[in-house]
Parts: sequence; C-alpha cells; structure tokens
Amino acid sequence: MSTDTIKSVARYFVSITIVLVFVFPIAWFGLTSIKPVSAVFNKDRVVVFDFQPTFDNYRVTILGGKKSDTKADSGILMGTSGEGAYDGRGSIVSSLIIAVCSTILATSISLLAAYALSRLAFRGSQGYMHWILSQRFLPPIAIIIPLVFIFRDLGLRDTHFGIIIAHTLINIPIALLILKSFFDDVPREVDQAAMIDGATRFQCFYMVVLPMVKGGVAATAVLCFIFSWTEFLLSLFLTNSIRTIPVKITTFVTSTGSEWGYISALGTAAIIPGFIFILLVQNHLVRGLTMGAIKD
Amino acid sequence: MSSRALLPRWLTSEHPLPWLFPVTSLLLVFGLYPILYSLWLSFFKRNPATRKEKFMPSYNWEKLFSDDRVWDAIQITFTYAFIALALQLILGLAIALLLDSDKKGYGVLRALMTLPLVVPPAVTGMMFLLMYDSSFGVISNALYSLNLLSPSAPILGTGSTALWGVIVADTWQWTPFMVLIMLAGLRALPKEPFEAAAIDGASSFQSFIFLTLPMMSKIIALAVLIRGIDLFRIFDYVKVMTDSGPGTATETLTAYAGTVYFKSANFPYASTVALGTLILVLLTATLFIKVFKVRF
Repeated sequence: MSTDTIKSVARYFVSITIVLVFVFPIAWFGLTSIKPVSAVFNKDRVVVFDFQPTFDNYRVTILGGKKSDTKADSGILMGTSGEGAYDGRGSIVSSLIIAVCSTILATSISLLAAYALSRLAFRGSQGYMHWILSQRFLPPIAIIIPLVFIFRDLGLRDTHFGIIIAHTLINIPIALLILKSFFDDVPREVDQAAMIDGATRFQCFYMVVLPMVKGGVAATAVLCFIFSWTEFLLSLFLTNSIRTIPVKITTFVTSTGSEWGYISALGTAAIIPGFIFILLVQNHLVRGLTMGAIKD
Repeated sequence: MSSRALLPRWLTSEHPLPWLFPVTSLLLVFGLYPILYSLWLSFFKRNPATRKEKFMPSYNWEKLFSDDRVWDAIQITFTYAFIALALQLILGLAIALLLDSDKKGYGVLRALMTLPLVVPPAVTGMMFLLMYDSSFGVISNALYSLNLLSPSAPILGTGSTALWGVIVADTWQWTPFMVLIMLAGLRALPKEPFEAAAIDGASSFQSFIFLTLPMMSKIIALAVLIRGIDLFRIFDYVKVMTDSGPGTATETLTAYAGTVYFKSANFPYASTVALGTLILVLLTATLFIKVFKVRF
C-alpha cells in the first residue's frame, strides 16, 4: 500500500472514531430507554446488550399507559408520586403548542423588521441593529425575575401564551439578524423594478422579495423551533403546572432516585423532532448559528 | 395609491415605523422594561423575617461587592467559560480539519456531527448524569477500570472534579457548533496561497500556522464571541447536573442568582446579582468586539 492510501484509511478511521464518540451519549441514552430496569441498574455489568428490549418506558411516558399496567420490571417504583407523574403527553402537547406558536410569531414579526432594516435606509438603523444584537447577549436570568412579576400582574404566569411571548422574545434577535442577511442577498434592483411597476413597499415585500427568500425563512423557522423546543430556564421560572418537555424531564429526578427508564424514553422522544429538522436545514445551519455573520 | 393620500407618511409602508413596530414594542415591554424593573427592585432591601421591602438604593449593590459567594461565582464562571471555550475551539478546529474532505462518507460524518446541537441542554445534563452515575454509569465505570477514578469520589460529587464533569457535557454539546463554523471558514479559504506555499516547500503544518489560522482569524473571533457569551450565561447544565454543588463548587453567577431567587426568595438581591452578570457580560463582550474588531 502506498503511504497515501494508508493516510486516507487512517483519516477515515480517526474521523469515524471521533464522530462515534459524539454520537455515543445519544445512542446510550436511546439504548437505556428500551432496557428493562434490571439492565439499567445493573452495576456488576454496566455494558449489557443481551437484555429483552421493552417499550414499557415509552408506554408510560408518551402513550399515557399506567405504571401499574406495565410489567413490574418497568420503573423503580420507589417514589410515592401518583400515577400520571410520569405521563409526558401533556408536556409534549404544551411543548408543541409553545414551539409552533412562538416560531410563527417570532418569524413573522422579525420578517417585517428585517425587511425594513435591509431596505429602508433610516437614521439610527445601525444603532437599532446593535440594540437587537445586545438582546441576543442578554442573560435570560437578568430579565426573568421581573418577568415573573410582570407576568403575574398580567395573568400570563403559567399560561401557554406567557411562555410563547417569552420564547418569541429570545428568538427575535436571532430570527431578525438571520432574515436580514437573507434579504441583503436579494439585489435592491428587484425592489426598484417592482416599485416602478407601481407596487407599494408592502406589495413589493410580500409579492416579490418574500418568495425569493423562502428557503431562508424556512431555515429561520426551524432554528426558532429548536430553540423554543430545547429552552429550559424561562419555562422553569414562568410555569408551575404547564411543563415543557425539558422541565418535565427534570421532575423525574427525585430525592429517592432517578427513573432512568422514563427519563431516557421521554428524552429520546424529545430529541427526534430536532434531528429531523436539523437535517432539513443543513445548508443554512452555519448562517443560522452565527446570526447571518457567516454566509454559506 | 389611495392609502398614501389617506394616511400620514409614517403610517405607510414607505416609513420604517410600521415594519419595526411589532418587534420593537415586544422588546421594549418584555425586554427593556424588565431590566429597568430589575434595576428598580435592586434598590430595595428585603427583610427576610417580615418579608417587607425598604427603599435603600445602595444596600444590595454594596452587598454584591462584599459577597464572597459572588466573587467565587465570578471565578468559577470565568474558569468554566475559559476551559470550555479553549477545549471547544481546539477540538472544533481539529475536527473540522479532519472532516473537511470531499471523499465519500465525510458528508454523512459531518451531518452526524451536528446531532448533539438539537438535544435540549437539560436532556444533555440528564444523559451525562446517567453516564457519570457512581454505581452503574458507563463513564464512571470506564474510569474505574483505568484506575483514573475511585468509587469513593464520584465525578459530580467531588469538588475538584464536578466542574470538569459539567464542562465535558457542555463540550460534547457545543463542539459541533465550532466544527460547523470552522468548516464554513475552511471552505471559504482561497486555494492559491496554499498552492504557492506548497510549491515553495512549506509543510502542511507550516501552511496551517501561517496561512489557515491568520485567514480564519475573523471567523474564529466571531465563534469565540458567540460561544463565550453563551458560556457566561450557563445555567441549564449546572442546574440539572449539580445544582451548584457539591457545596458551591460549580456555582456560576447565573446559578447563584437562581439560588437566591428560589431558596431565599430575596428578589431584590437576586435581581442585583442578575444585573451584575448582565453588566459583566456586556463589558466583556464590548471589550472583545473592540479588541478583535468583530463585525456582524
């Protein structure tokens, strides 16, 4: 074998090994979710593969099955928490409502602002951009405490609408900056041509430019969805009974022990939508993650 | 054209106002107002016994500077951010160089590499809690068999290793972010300088140090800024994995603000700590932007 072949084989080998290291925690988590409890808590043999796969953990967490209906081998049955404590269906619905609504809200109002910042030259537009950017760098903890009081006074605490607003708030800066970078890619002559033909600014935006940045809007929406779907801190502070999935999962850790079967089942289920979406927007991912600063 | 005749100009789509109104009003009401509210709150002294608050503008701010836990938290936050950033940057660049190939299979590897990005950070915390478990955790057991860890000193339960445990989880999740950005940077490099360097007999290591790195400096600075600010705001991993413990070994600034909020219900002081964090983030970020001339 020539040295080039050896090098290329070695590079494959190292690359695959590294990628496997990064995939391993997810795979391990997924594997745990279908293990019977005796295999999860087996401390004499940590790496077990010869177990009987079970879907009881999914039955309880995402299908609403009763813990008592499943085999005694599911769940560690040590908590005193009632039936339904591990039912994640409500959380899945809440997370979906919140993620979808905040995505639509954040993307649509950011579209308007992004178009104006890209096309209408006005005094202070640079300052406005900086203000938006600084919102992205704001630690959520700095607004969360007053937000709890404001939400309480407005009756928004522990409501879907309240978290939708909160998630929209953190998604706006990201969505706006990405969308502006997509609008900047469209030549201004396009607008000018439409306006010479008698279109108003809004018609020009809605009928001419918007269709040209469809891909960018889709990518932005996907990123907003993922941010909302995975968000933890705001949901934790602003709710008591409505639990998004990330917050719900943390309640499975109790002082008497952690229900690893249920945690891994709901956790694995929560990862799947993100996986599908991120594969759809691979081409715009870098632009999204750098808020339009790097175009790919 | 009739709308132009009926409405004042600032209400038509020719003027930026209607475009920016929804985003601006939302950010003002739920973004800026809470910060002002927070500032206002920080001027009150809370009496824990009577739960009454008294106007004493300097009380909390003086307390902030004389609070040892704040200084510890600042130190822990900086240590955390610095180590995690260095690890993620070096790994990200190395993995990007490795995966930057047009050969068959590398596309799939690059796609797989993005998967950790969509896992909710709270779930990431859970994944690592499971793998770190001192009796059946796969990472702990691997370290036991290598004699690198003893069961009497669990990773997250020991002061000297707990922060590292959290850093590993953060690095697992966010190295892919660096990889993606570095890959975009590598792809955008011009070919000619490298060809010229090769003709002049430069080794690939030399062309990496003298060509790749300088040409990527802008992108590296941008990645460091975005990631650095997110590291500063770290909350989810600490909350889920260690809840600031053992003792206060992993208590970052945001975690401390959360602790003051949840455990002692001292809202004015919690706001002060949160605002202190915000000021520190803004100062550090502004300094970084000025020094490295980052542009969005």
